[in-house]
Amino acid sequence: MSASEMPKFSEERLAEIDALVKRYPSAKSALMPVLYMAQQDFGYLSMDTQQMVADVLQLRLMEVREVVTFYTMFKEQPHGKYLLEVCTNASCMLNGADELYAHMKEYLGIGPGEITEDGLFSIAEVECAGACAGAPVVQVNNIYHEKATAESMEALITKVRAGEAI
Amino acid sequence: MTELFINDEEVTVPAGTSILEACRKNGVDVPYFCYHPELSVAANCRMCLVEIEGMPKPLASCCTPVAEGMKVITHSEGLEKDRAMIMEYLLINHPLDCPVCDQGGACKLQDYAVEHGMGHGRYIDEKRVPSDKDLGPFVNTCMTRCIHCTRCVRFADEIAGTGDMGVLNRGDHMLIEGIVEDALESELSGNLSDICPVGALLDKPSHDVSRPWEMKKHKSTCTQCPQGCDIEIESRNDEVMRIRPAKGGVEPWICDRGRYVYDAFRSDNRLLTPRVRQGETLTDASWDDAIAKAVSLLKGKRVGIVFSPDWSVEGLTAIRLLRDTAFADAKVAFELHRRDMRPFAFEEGLSMSTKAIEGADQVVVLGSDIRQRLPILMQRLRKRANAGKPITRIGAMHYRTNADIAVDALIRPRDWHAVIASAMVQLTELGKLAAGMDAWLAKVDARHEAGKLLADALIADSCAMLVGEEIRCHEDAAALIHGLDLLMRAAGHTEVGKDGRNLLPEGMNAQLLSDVFGDVRTSAGTLFDAASQGELDTLLLVGSDPVGDGLFSRQAKAALEKVDLVQVGAISGDMGQYAAVQLPASAYSEVEGTFINMEGRVRVAENPLRSLGEERPMWKVMMRLAQALVHEVPAVNLDEIRKEIIERAPLCAALADVWAGESAKSVFIPSARNKGATLPNMASLNVAKALDVVSRYSMYREGAWARASALLSEAGRIHALDDLIVHPETLKELGLEQGELTVLSNTGAETFEVGTREDVSPGVLFVAKRGVAGDLSGETSVDLQGGQS
Amino acid sequence: MISSDPKKVQRICFDNIEVENMHKLEVAKKHGAYAFLPTVLNEFDTDRIIDEVKTSGLRGRGGAGFPTGLKWSFVPRNTGKPTYLLCNADEGEPGTFKDRDIMRFNPHLLIEGMIMAGFALGVKDAYIYVRGEFLHEYNVMCEAINEAYAANLLGENILGTGFSMNLLMHRGAGAYVCGEETALIESLEGKSGRPRFKPPFPAVEGFYACPTVVNNVETISTIPAILEHGGAWHAAIGKPNNTGCKIFSVSGHVNKPGNYEVPMGTSLRTLVEDFCGGLQHGTVPKVIIPGGSSTPWLLGEHYDVPLTYDDIMKAGSFLGSGAIIILDETADVVAVTRRLAHFYAHESCGQCTPCREGTGWVERILNRVDAGEGTQADIKVLKDASAHMAGRTICALAEGAAASVLSMLKHFPEEVEAKLAEKSS
Ligand SMILES: Cc1cc2nc3c(=O)[nH]c(=O)nc-3n(C[C@H](O)[C@H](O)[C@H](O)COP(=O)(O)O)c2cc1C
Ligand code: SF4
Ligand code: FES
Repeated sequence: MSASEMPKFSEERLAEIDALVKRYPSAKSALMPVLYMAQQDFGYLSMDTQQMVADVLQLRLMEVREVVTFYTMFKEQPHGKYLLEVCTNASCMLNGADELYAHMKEYLGIGPGEITEDGLFSIAEVECAGACAGAPVVQVNNIYHEKATAESMEALITKVRAGEAI
Repeated sequence: MTELFINDEEVTVPAGTSILEACRKNGVDVPYFCYHPELSVAANCRMCLVEIEGMPKPLASCCTPVAEGMKVITHSEGLEKDRAMIMEYLLINHPLDCPVCDQGGACKLQDYAVEHGMGHGRYIDEKRVPSDKDLGPFVNTCMTRCIHCTRCVRFADEIAGTGDMGVLNRGDHMLIEGIVEDALESELSGNLSDICPVGALLDKPSHDVSRPWEMKKHKSTCTQCPQGCDIEIESRNDEVMRIRPAKGGVEPWICDRGRYVYDAFRSDNRLLTPRVRQGETLTDASWDDAIAKAVSLLKGKRVGIVFSPDWSVEGLTAIRLLRDTAFADAKVAFELHRRDMRPFAFEEGLSMSTKAIEGADQVVVLGSDIRQRLPILMQRLRKRANAGKPITRIGAMHYRTNADIAVDALIRPRDWHAVIASAMVQLTELGKLAAGMDAWLAKVDARHEAGKLLADALIADSCAMLVGEEIRCHEDAAALIHGLDLLMRAAGHTEVGKDGRNLLPEGMNAQLLSDVFGDVRTSAGTLFDAASQGELDTLLLVGSDPVGDGLFSRQAKAALEKVDLVQVGAISGDMGQYAAVQLPASAYSEVEGTFINMEGRVRVAENPLRSLGEERPMWKVMMRLAQALVHEVPAVNLDEIRKEIIERAPLCAALADVWAGESAKSVFIPSARNKGATLPNMASLNVAKALDVVSRYSMYREGAWARASALLSEAGRIHALDDLIVHPETLKELGLEQGELTVLSNTGAETFEVGTREDVSPGVLFVAKRGVAGDLSGETSVDLQGGQS
Repeated sequence: MISSDPKKVQRICFDNIEVENMHKLEVAKKHGAYAFLPTVLNEFDTDRIIDEVKTSGLRGRGGAGFPTGLKWSFVPRNTGKPTYLLCNADEGEPGTFKDRDIMRFNPHLLIEGMIMAGFALGVKDAYIYVRGEFLHEYNVMCEAINEAYAANLLGENILGTGFSMNLLMHRGAGAYVCGEETALIESLEGKSGRPRFKPPFPAVEGFYACPTVVNNVETISTIPAILEHGGAWHAAIGKPNNTGCKIFSVSGHVNKPGNYEVPMGTSLRTLVEDFCGGLQHGTVPKVIIPGGSSTPWLLGEHYDVPLTYDDIMKAGSFLGSGAIIILDETADVVAVTRRLAHFYAHESCGQCTPCREGTGWVERILNRVDAGEGTQADIKVLKDASAHMAGRTICALAEGAAASVLSMLKHFPEEVEAKLAEKSS
């Protein structure tokens, strides 16, 4: 990869990071928020992006790698524009989450780690979302959809495909 | 102190000790994997569980501090069940491939499985199969055997300071990973295989070559740097198979240089038989023929002697005895880096122990690439830095250390006077004075702001000053070191007549050398010049390679073209091409000799390896030459040599105690103290040219032994230093661009590729000693010009 | 939406939870937010606050139920190092979803609690560590904090009292174990969330080796009421040693799952029948998981247990975070256990041998058993592998992982047997 293709934070981002770092006793604490920024700006955390984050915070690449691979919300692989995350933990399971998840996989024609052909969707099974009163819960790009049903999810997918806001 | 009961025995340990350490100290066996006395506690393996009266569940003993009156039980039915279960957990994902594993026979997992395991596994699902890693030429991985104790990760963080190993993922996907390009960025990487309790990280060079139970062990001293680490040489059929840190030695680690030099012991470069030149080639000869040849070149000739300081003190003294009996006028050189020969030169060796240095409030490093030169001392400094204790450094480069350097200043060699002078002014202002400081100060007009940093470090309650090669090789070194002595006295770290600084020596046995050779020594450069000007007939080189090492390679080459060479040594190396005759001397692994390290620690090798060929201990070679030359043998056995040592080296008198059987632990050889106060002699400085030259040492390439080792040579290739570098500002000031540039020195003009780096001092040209422009090391200053001259 | 409150019972954290736009400073202030803060900052001091909290009997709402006042009193003073206050909003325990409602509906209550707790402990920098999934809650909190800064309720010289404190939201990124306080500290230091062994305890050596207090969102949100009304007032609610109100997150097979704050000591049956609209099927639960998925199961016979730390402990489990999962007669206990085992295997940080290897092993066995492919030998291993995880590791995650497996084996051996039989039939 040539230097020009390497990911690079915008000036505004760098200023934001500078300000953020000051709010912690040590710059290393800013690693997770900065990874979120990188993920937002570059879609996912490629090795180059991780190196960039390491450079910005003056950390070793290994320090960044350890964190990226420990936390499930940091993605090292690209995923669809909409990431559908179905909670299948106990309370959701007791309220039909397994069936919902199976249905959605079939409906989208993809399994976990895959992207629909239109590039719009990926799907994953996740752990308790902390919203068990709304079981089953589906997060769509971290927006909670509670008491989700096959119909409500299909409707959401249709809307996205039609280019409508959800 | 805390009193507690371990299995009903009352024991007393310092408060805050962990239960595990209390058990270890009192000889109670508790099994463990992740604990390591030199590393931080991780408490993750859970093998060290013990029961404590009143506690509902067993506790990990490695991370539980003792408490007054605590009742600890280390063996019970419940604990055995727990340990068996831990073994079962650990083994579910383990390949159980002991028969093909190098660690077999020296494996904690295997031992404990026998002692605590259940004998059969109940796991029937698929095993985890992590992939192996490329960790460079020294470390082999077999990650399926990893038990995730994280010792290696903690080692990389805390000891090597590289942080290039880490833990990825979580749960049973957890992986130990190294981020490496060619090799671990560590000169201590070989220790990884030692600290891995199982067969996941293995020694690559000895991989599949030998099994632990085939090895014979020999305690010895590493002479690859003045640290003189305690080593254990493992041999099979008298061949060196590997080198490891000795158990119970002063330091738990050794560096890769000391460890992987072992392949040089059995390389083609070893000198194992006498050889005599016949035309273009050297051919094996009998000792008698070779000695006869040597005599023909030495007898009645004007002889110059150059030797390396890492022979045993007996061997070194024998060199002096030969000189005195056979060549009473001969000048002797043993140091290839010194320009200033005034008396300071002999006062080498540390005035503090490395432990005291680690503990000092302040450490100030002056002009030294400690990581390359003394990796184990660097490791101590790293430990103090990790503990938040400051290190101040002044020198020509921000040498990479893998440690936090609290204060770091870049200066040129020609600035040292001004730095010391500024520090003197600062101390004077604080009312801290030393007799002689005024006179010193009066000779130096210039001031340099880095002196403030030096003074700041000096005013700490305790301060360890480490004086490195940039000063030791300086043209005005005697004056600089005298100035530093004055500073140490003024700051109250030492008394009049003493000096508190630690002058880092070039090699082993520095204390003895100053005593035994003080009156006959000369600069190697002067000696070579004399040879090339026809003032000498023959050079007697004893284990030294002045072309490959040191500052005078250009002069050495000229001399060697001109005069005859009699070579004595363990390694033939590049000197072979010049030698008329070669006499093989035993390697440090093969002698019953005594060694003194830079701190003054004494070691006597006890069960040396047997000779592989016809090589003889150095003292015998020297005595045989004396006999052949003048029919006189000054000493006929080791005892007589040792008697001579005590006579000639009063400072080393304590050696007698060690030879008489006293524990070497209680004996320290002091370094000689500053004899001649020397005032700055600025006029003599060769600074007519724009840039100061500093040459860089590579631990993988320096010394005939290292170059004879294929392993170290490979590491030298991987960790190659930049050939020539300057600070970008320097080029800008000279109106030049990075690239092909002409270097103008006293010996002419040459064109080289010159690179830039921010971490070198402006106004300095850095030369890798073993790089393409290595010969420039002999220069002190040069000019730089654009393009082809 | 917060579940409505069928009976007027005393509430503390949820007192104003239904007020519209309560997350806005203006609205919150109208309902009393920050009204008592100047009094605390001007007239109270560390000792007085700690005394009030001790008197109140408040026990930590994060799971362990450790007395909050006592925890605060362990913080060494005048160490020359800063003291940090970290609010645990990681809320990852399956079944727990109470802190989320405090944050999204009444963020100023938490902020006010943080200021008061911070003042008591001499804190200059406080952080709220919120689980990464709670993006909405994070945003609401950030906005509320910004408003508080603008109103000089945070930052330099708060309300002219001379007390200064910063408060920053920090997002986790999907790791349950980061709710464990020392893992949370590691995570906030920018590292993987691997729990630390104790001692040293965070109160002495926590965030960046400085004295640190970690408290749950609900714990902190209770502080303003305690200081305003006095510790004795709080101590009079609930039962001795189990004082005050508690939010219970009820989910599973109930008709109206949700968060209900009730005085401690309310019976489980009352909570389920009167507040949650009863069970989906049948009249008595098959399994009650009383304090989040990490707590041992109770059975229908415990339906009347008073909801206190002590009573639930007496019944054989823990109140934990107050997350009650109800399984009715339709539940497949082996499948639920299998799912929970998957959770713990997925969430184990991996450092302790028993947890790293044990959780994965248990999951694989349960997968087999649930699929009808298990054997008698598997059952023995399940028991051994679970029993030897519990209490032998750095943190309590492994113990939580063992809880459901051991409960299932203990209470439902026939159902497990039936699964084994499936294969042979
Ligand atoms: C695996 C594990 C997960 C935990 N998760 C949480 C959590 O999400 N929220 C929380 O407040 N406490 C959690 N805790 C408890 C915390 O360690 C700690 O006891 C609590 O935050 C202290 O606050 P409190 O005294 O206010 O309850 C967890 C503990 C463990 C062992
Ligand atoms: S018990 Fe499990 S989660 Fe807790 S520290 Fe140990 S390995 Fe990590
Ligand atoms: S030695 Fe104590 S847990 Fe490993």
